[in-house]
Amino acid sequence: MTLFLQQLVNGVALGSVYALVALGLTLVYGVLKVPNFAHGALYMMAAYVVYVALTAVEAPYVVAIAAAIVAIGVLGGAMELVVFRHLEGKTPVHMMIAALGVLFFLEGTADVVWGPDFRPVPTPLDGVVSAFGVNITEQRILVIVAAVATMVGLYTLLKRTLVGMSIEALAQDREGALLVGIDTKRVALLTFAISGVLAAIAGSLIAPLVLVFPLMGAVVILKAFVIVILGGMGSVPGAIIGGYLLAIAETMAGTYVAFAFSELIAFALLVLVLVFRPTGLFTKGT
Amino acid sequence: MVGRKSVLLVAVALLAAGCGGGGDESDDGMVVVPFGFVGPLSGGAAYYGRNVLRGLEMAAEEIAANGGFVIDGQAHRFEVVTADDRYLPYETATATRRLLQQEQMSTILVPHAGGIRAVQEMNLNEPRFLLMAYSSEPSILEAQNPLQIMLPPRFDGYQEPFVRVLMGRFGTRLALLGTTTAYGRAWTEHVSAEWTRRGGTVGGNHGVDYNTTTDFTGAVSRALADDPDVLFIGGPSQPTALVIRAAREQGFQGGFLIMDQAKFMEMLQIVSMEALEGAVGVYPQELYPTEGTPGWVARYYERFGEDAPPATSEVAINYQGLHLLARAMEIAGTTEDPDAIRAAFGEAARTIDDDLRIFDMNGVTEGGHLARAVFAAHVLNGEFIAEPIPVPGGTELR
Repeated sequence: MTLFLQQLVNGVALGSVYALVALGLTLVYGVLKVPNFAHGALYMMAAYVVYVALTAVEAPYVVAIAAAIVAIGVLGGAMELVVFRHLEGKTPVHMMIAALGVLFFLEGTADVVWGPDFRPVPTPLDGVVSAFGVNITEQRILVIVAAVATMVGLYTLLKRTLVGMSIEALAQDREGALLVGIDTKRVALLTFAISGVLAAIAGSLIAPLVLVFPLMGAVVILKAFVIVILGGMGSVPGAIIGGYLLAIAETMAGTYVAFAFSELIAFALLVLVLVFRPTGLFTKGT
Repeated sequence: MVGRKSVLLVAVALLAAGCGGGGDESDDGMVVVPFGFVGPLSGGAAYYGRNVLRGLEMAAEEIAANGGFVIDGQAHRFEVVTADDRYLPYETATATRRLLQQEQMSTILVPHAGGIRAVQEMNLNEPRFLLMAYSSEPSILEAQNPLQIMLPPRFDGYQEPFVRVLMGRFGTRLALLGTTTAYGRAWTEHVSAEWTRRGGTVGGNHGVDYNTTTDFTGAVSRALADDPDVLFIGGPSQPTALVIRAAREQGFQGGFLIMDQAKFMEMLQIVSMEALEGAVGVYPQELYPTEGTPGWVARYYERFGEDAPPATSEVAINYQGLHLLARAMEIAGTTEDPDAIRAAFGEAARTIDDDLRIFDMNGVTEGGHLARAVFAAHVLNGEFIAEPIPVPGGTELR
């Protein structure tokens, strides 16, 4: 039972990161209608910003997170402005190739600037909390709490503000949004910036728990794609539930079957969803 | 217009490549001997590939700075020519073929077992070349390739001292948490066999792929649920350190049996010596108890800067390997005949300068394995204690 609880806590911590990455991806999909492969690179870049802020500048962790949010938010917006804006009306293949190009560009940039080395990121929260035989580090508690706060914030933004509603409108019906006078260019720019902010929060929260290196985004983004398909392309609740579901499924399968199989879980789930419910688990009927 | 420009560029590039071809005399009066490196320079294993390459380049520069190696009164130096295979065996074969078409070269180094097996099929056909194999996987010797030199120690020598020390200190229950690459699985099998042979019990295998795992806590929690005395762990150093950190955070007090892929000095960049208490792994290269080590470590940091990644065995063995090759070419009196160079390796190992003896070596086995004295390190009360490692499978030298 202790093991089960411990693994549930581990799964929730991992799920928080998965969900945050998947959220940014699903938001952009809503607007662009193309999976943004470069999203994992934004997450990686955010981790590097935190790394530089904490080691070279020796800034406090909160400042490092804020710096990452600003920098990657801007980078996300710039991506739309420089690349995707010019591809409007082109085929999805154009978009996909552009997204891949941005991915390789950012990974290559990180490789040139920081090298392929694995960088450990120091954390001010290195204590461990124990309760009911379950151990969890303070950093992981922060990950879980901050992820929930971010999700609540995002939900409020989408449902309660004009900006958020115009993003949702654009995602649901592009022509309809145009008809009611929504500035689609501005909304697309904002969506990319918000997806950058989400990637930045995920990247800066997880950086102290993992190692920062140019390909660190590749592993997570693959899972995020699975989550987005699992939850339904473009679905915000789908990305959140899908993120926790996948992480907990992986951890539990690892615990009660074998960890060698836990990597397979994501893709087994993907196949099952594609066969039995190709629109995703949480989309309303189209 | 653009088309014409690129044609011109290609022509210039081809000319330049032609000029650099094998055996030309360069401005410094030395004959330039191309030396091939085919390994990962991009992708997930780039860090590893560049470690290997640093060792080779450091040696090549030193040889040139010291006036080169002399054959028939003429000084020679190496130029390291690289090709990226992204750690993929099929890419290794293609990249090797491409290198050989570009330039004539008698020696190529490959730093991973899969790539080595791919090249073993090639190096006996024309153009013949010497394969310097940097992998501790003993099965690469099974091909009995007569033009192969295996540089590192065999990994199947490690388990006996590792298991003996840890079982004696902590107890008989072992949990398995090694990486799930082919190499990691081979290690897991060997260590389980040795542990059982000594009367210990081995729990379930909770290994994960260290290269693709974001969070190790789940796997660590599962392994610790069996209440082991010792954890078998290991993959690349940095993720291995994360596993150690996770285990200590969850209250594990026992010992770590660490696969040779992980290096103490790299792990110490992430975890403290305190967390490593009770760990057994390969002896840290920078502290190796040999004559050549202190000087080599000083030269390494002088060359790459104080902030360079730790001077690991990946750097050391390949550094020494290229120096050995220069010595073997001197003894053989040729830079081009791979058979003669291969035959001279045993003598080269015995006669190499003392300041290059980062490892003590006394020759090459029948199968082409460079026999060297290696040590395990046992972290006891915050110190690295050296444990000699026996050389398995025939030490008959020639």
